[in-house]
Amino acid sequence: MNRFFELLKVDFKLLLREFIVVFFSLAFPIFMILIFGGVYGNKPTEFFGGFGSVDVMVPSYLGVIIAINGLMSLPLTLVEYRDKKILKRYMATPLKSSYIILSQFVVNFVLTLLGLILLFVFGKIIFNLKFYGNVFIFSFVFVLSTLSIFSIGFLIASLIKDPRTANTIAYIIYFPMLFLSGATMPLESMPKIMKTVAKFLPLTYIVDLFKRSWLNTDIFWLKMNLSYTIDILILLFITFICFFISIKTFKWYYD
Amino acid sequence: MKVIEVKDLKKYYGEIKAVDGISFYVEEGEVFGMVGPNGAGKTTTIECIEGLRKRDYGDIKVLGEEPYNNKKLYKRISIQLQETNYQDKIKIYEILKLFSSFYDKPLNSEELLNKFNLYDFRNSFVMKLSGGQKQKLSIILALIPDPQILFLDELTTGLDPKARRDMWDFIKEMKERGKTTFLTTHYMEEAENLCDRVAIIDKGKIIALDSPRNLIKNSGLEDSIIFEGENLNIEELEKIKGVSRVFLENKKITIFGKGEDLLKNVVDYLYMRKINFKNLKTKSPNLEDIYLSLTGKKYEEVKNE
Repeated sequence: MNRFFELLKVDFKLLLREFIVVFFSLAFPIFMILIFGGVYGNKPTEFFGGFGSVDVMVPSYLGVIIAINGLMSLPLTLVEYRDKKILKRYMATPLKSSYIILSQFVVNFVLTLLGLILLFVFGKIIFNLKFYGNVFIFSFVFVLSTLSIFSIGFLIASLIKDPRTANTIAYIIYFPMLFLSGATMPLESMPKIMKTVAKFLPLTYIVDLFKRSWLNTDIFWLKMNLSYTIDILILLFITFICFFISIKTFKWYYD
Repeated sequence: MKVIEVKDLKKYYGEIKAVDGISFYVEEGEVFGMVGPNGAGKTTTIECIEGLRKRDYGDIKVLGEEPYNNKKLYKRISIQLQETNYQDKIKIYEILKLFSSFYDKPLNSEELLNKFNLYDFRNSFVMKLSGGQKQKLSIILALIPDPQILFLDELTTGLDPKARRDMWDFIKEMKERGKTTFLTTHYMEEAENLCDRVAIIDKGKIIALDSPRNLIKNSGLEDSIIFEGENLNIEELEKIKGVSRVFLENKKITIFGKGEDLLKNVVDYLYMRKINFKNLKTKSPNLEDIYLSLTGKKYEEVKNE
């Protein structure tokens, strides 16, 4: 356990030294609600179905935080560790190999959680942010969403050998999800074609689930007459498939 | 006691026979070296023994245990990989603390930093270190567990001559404490200086294995005596006991031959004939010459491959 704890400490310090990840996890969402909240305020409006703009934005931006950690930080770190033979070096110590990956999951999860807490505190203080949902349901949704996106990141790390390729792929997946999933721009105001694309992005279901469980309503659903259960099943399915393929294909090093 | 036993080790990559039936053992407390050109199979062999690569055929025992996928063994053996880079933004003391936490009784890492002149860098990021300093860090990390067997793959590559000598002293110290070292190297001088026994490996096979002294003695390579003199009779020189060949170039004579009395016989002859000579030097074959004659390669070519 001591070994794992030391590894966690080091991995977390290293994560905090990655400017882009820290910026998008902790600072970017707060800047966004400051800007939009500053313009629109957090008064309930018809456009947001009777909720304040910040109340609606906060659960969406959680998608941004999860995505930067799960789709960028996690896979790129693992690919870099393998490329530099750091994984191989760890393999030649008594450290349990699974701890190396577990540690990456944990530190990125912790940073995601910090992002959520910071966003909540700022929202509360400045815009009197309201949480309408059930804490337990929301926690469950938060953990499941994180796991499913992290599992996609793990899959990238398992399938891609070259750090530059991994970088490109992470960006190609990350940015469309950011803009088309409703995480940064409301899907409700998008043309039909975009909404169709959105249906194929895992982050869409996450953003939807966050909004549902935060606001305790289903008015933001893409009008497909689906339910909580479907969202959750889709995420469970993604998580399962990605973990399955990753565990089968992940290589610690190449000969 | 044999701490490493390898029997008929084979590892193929498709058509390429990287290691093609290697057998040897290493005794406890020995410094065992493996030399050979790039692509000879050194790293494949050492990594099979370390348990990091799966072999295709053969038996390996390290401290009496099967090494492949044997996590427990890494408490007792330690490894410096040929090339590892560490996280750019990890500080030296952080990585030392991390690796120390992996072991039950780690060596004091501050003392190791001092020994390798890295103490002043303990708060620096790894990316700020020079190539040689990174190499020292790799070695320190391998030394932390105070292992029974230390594996060093190309240990002094990138080290300056002073640091290399320090490293040699350290390995000799380890030996005095009864530890075993298994190393691969490009530097024949290093193998000759450091190793109790050396295996010369080429194209996946061991082509010679003995102490450096015996390798030289049994190689059939000759000593040479070089001096400058005048009025020399080459035919008479060739008749001196032990001499095989004589070359004259300007005023410089090179005599090749064998035998413990070779130098005495030559000098006696020169006195008898009252021949003035100067700048006399003798040259004995070293491990590098043996290596060259066995592998048929020019060593400089090998180094630059």
